Amino acid sequence: MKITSSRISQLIFLTVFIVLFINTEYRGKDEISVAINSFFRANPLVAISYLLSTKTFTMLVFPGFLMLLFSLLLGRFFCGWICPLGTLIDIVTDRIKKTLPLKFLKTTFKYYLLFTLLFAALFNVNLSGILDPIAILVRALTFFFYPIIGNFIKSGWTGLYSAIGDKRDNIEFVYAFLRDYILPFRDTIYPSAFISFALLAAIIFLERYEKRNWCKNLCPLGTLLGLAGRLSIFRRLPNKLCADCRECKNICPTDFDQDTLQKQDCILCMDCRIRCNFKRVKFLSIFKGEHKEKKVTFVQGRRVFLESLLSGFFLSRAFVFRSPQEQENLLRPPGVSNEDEFLKKCVRCGECIKICLRNALYPTIFKAGLYGIFTPVLIPRLGYCEYNCNLCGQVCPTGAIPNKPLEEKKKSVIGIAVFDKNICLPYAKKINCIVCEEHCPVPGKAIKFELSEELDYTGKRIMLKKPYIVEDLCIGCGICENKCPLEGKSAVEVFAKLGKGKKYHKL
Amino acid sequence: MNRRDFIKFGLSSLIMAGLPKHVLSQNSPVLSISEGKDHAATTINAINALGGIQRFVKKGDVVVVKPNIGWDRKPEYAANTNPIVVRAIVEACINAGAKKVKVFDNTCNDPRRCYQNSGMNSALKGIKGVELKFMEDERYKNVRLNGVALKEWELYDEALSANVLINVPVAKHHSLTRLTLALKNMMGIMGGNRGYIHRNIEESLSDINKVVKSHLVIIDATRILLNHGPQGGSLSDVKVLDRVIASTDIVAADAYATTLFDLKPQDIATTVTAYKRNLGEMNLNKIKVIKA
Repeated sequence: MKITSSRISQLIFLTVFIVLFINTEYRGKDEISVAINSFFRANPLVAISYLLSTKTFTMLVFPGFLMLLFSLLLGRFFCGWICPLGTLIDIVTDRIKKTLPLKFLKTTFKYYLLFTLLFAALFNVNLSGILDPIAILVRALTFFFYPIIGNFIKSGWTGLYSAIGDKRDNIEFVYAFLRDYILPFRDTIYPSAFISFALLAAIIFLERYEKRNWCKNLCPLGTLLGLAGRLSIFRRLPNKLCADCRECKNICPTDFDQDTLQKQDCILCMDCRIRCNFKRVKFLSIFKGEHKEKKVTFVQGRRVFLESLLSGFFLSRAFVFRSPQEQENLLRPPGVSNEDEFLKKCVRCGECIKICLRNALYPTIFKAGLYGIFTPVLIPRLGYCEYNCNLCGQVCPTGAIPNKPLEEKKKSVIGIAVFDKNICLPYAKKINCIVCEEHCPVPGKAIKFELSEELDYTGKRIMLKKPYIVEDLCIGCGICENKCPLEGKSAVEVFAKLGKGKKYHKL
Repeated sequence: MNRRDFIKFGLSSLIMAGLPKHVLSQNSPVLSISEGKDHAATTINAINALGGIQRFVKKGDVVVVKPNIGWDRKPEYAANTNPIVVRAIVEACINAGAKKVKVFDNTCNDPRRCYQNSGMNSALKGIKGVELKFMEDERYKNVRLNGVALKEWELYDEALSANVLINVPVAKHHSLTRLTLALKNMMGIMGGNRGYIHRNIEESLSDINKVVKSHLVIIDATRILLNHGPQGGSLSDVKVLDRVIASTDIVAADAYATTLFDLKPQDIATTVTAYKRNLGEMNLNKIKVIKA
């Protein structure tokens, strides 16, 4: 592999990507200044889907439109110079033996895919996060690889203790460094670990058919950038394979399936220019050079457009179903007040889940209906929402979780806690407990208790403390459910709080 | 060594050896209380009144200082032990020749936020020989307690193996036990589903304290939490007292601290149970109080 400018750029951005990924974690500071969300905010697919689904604009995704503008001018440079998934593919692809390209991908499939996603967004169902390349990569890292690495090192560290005991303290600083700066703080297992991994693995698997298979035949972001790139002011000359050489066909990672260069597939890696034996290849502005640019026309454009409109519409309606039981305790991150708005904005990148201090958030698979896949839900029995923390809002790239100031976040209602008096100790067994009240973080306590003098079952006179919820104060952080000392099922559970007059959520 | 030196040395060592013995020989437990805006000096005064830290910490000792760092609250909210008090104790231990001073607590909120927001991280930063570590699952050992409520429980091995254990709670309101003081602060070395012991908290706490002895108890009452404990969250529930209590008798320390809340030791079932189980003295008139 020759070191070219595009290679250097790819490695720099991959490094930035990894550093930002690791930085997307609580490391002692209440403010996260830069996080991996930068990659989503500068993502045109995220930006356009947001625009189409919410029908509003936010400055958060402005960099995405800038990126689109640059691609209009320069072409599809993002894929060859920046995209960390593309870089990853470039790193592994040479080690994968190629068979023949898959024929069915060589049609207008990718356009159907992109426009179906975009039209679905227009019909209020924003699914692009599922297939966005950056989201796929971040999810695979967050839900699969990162926890595995963390767990691996932690079990090594734990194992060392059983082997050498307190002598382990001598190398404590090594582990402390890893824990404080690199690894996830907690061991977590995510429900979508396998699916997230499988999506990335499938993309790598596709490399056995041809180079950058995903990028040129499927990736909706790449396709979108390719469409913009068709209008770019640069063009490659010659725009055909030269009859006496044809080496470009072997060099080029994405293009030259046909003899003529497909501008929308060129990722501007410049390999052909650098490696041309005859120094023929040039990238010139369209206003220069002898050959006049042939006007690019989009074959079957109208047909793809109309059929995608149809499939987008069907897609947006086909997976709407949600069971009311699942929604009773469908809890969204703090600050999310409207489920519809949330789904229109959520990129499913998993950043809120990664940064969550207590590992309260998990990517759901079925709970929010099939199209809610990978969106974050709060599971209080596993982890509660830390009262003084608003990191999820800070890292959310699109503001699906609003970035509220801490004082406002503390008042954001996630749900409402409800006691199950059939199992709650003071009610069910006349035993004092109130661990829930102890932990309730709301100043003034959203869990209070009434004192009642009773005879317990042995006939002893006791003062029972019977807890109850103050509905106006409860924010549904879930610490009561989390800390309830009952084995198994918690005696206090947080339920979703829907708008007045709503029994369950409906699109 | 000439005669004069001999006499000097002999006399001074007599005095050195005699003083703590004098304090110890009292039948009634001794408790010291000091007051002052300088919380570090106030802490040291309270310890000195008991004979100084060197009475407890010998050269080469491993010392555990167990404050309350349970909550993600800033120091002024009185939910955690005052970091200035903790630092003063830690420095005193190190000056007395301690090999290592370990500070930790099994927190209720996220440990990273608790250690950070309680001010413990910054207070102990840069002091040589001190370790402020997160507690690790593998270090909990199942200990046979053979108690009234608890037969066995997971306790933290570093607390068990230390030469000296200094118990440094903050005096706070608590809905179940009315107050949380030194006896209850020992919950911080417990692992597992700790909430379980709320079912019989008085006996459980005595069970733990019977097995794990606090060699020195220092109660931080520089500010106390009067209501909505144990984590509070509102400054209107906080009262500034600028006081520090020290004693070797954990029940005496708790009993005396109770009076700061205008309550009687008999009002606190945890204290009464511990007294009945011979963990210490709760009758205020039998405790020798030194104002330092």
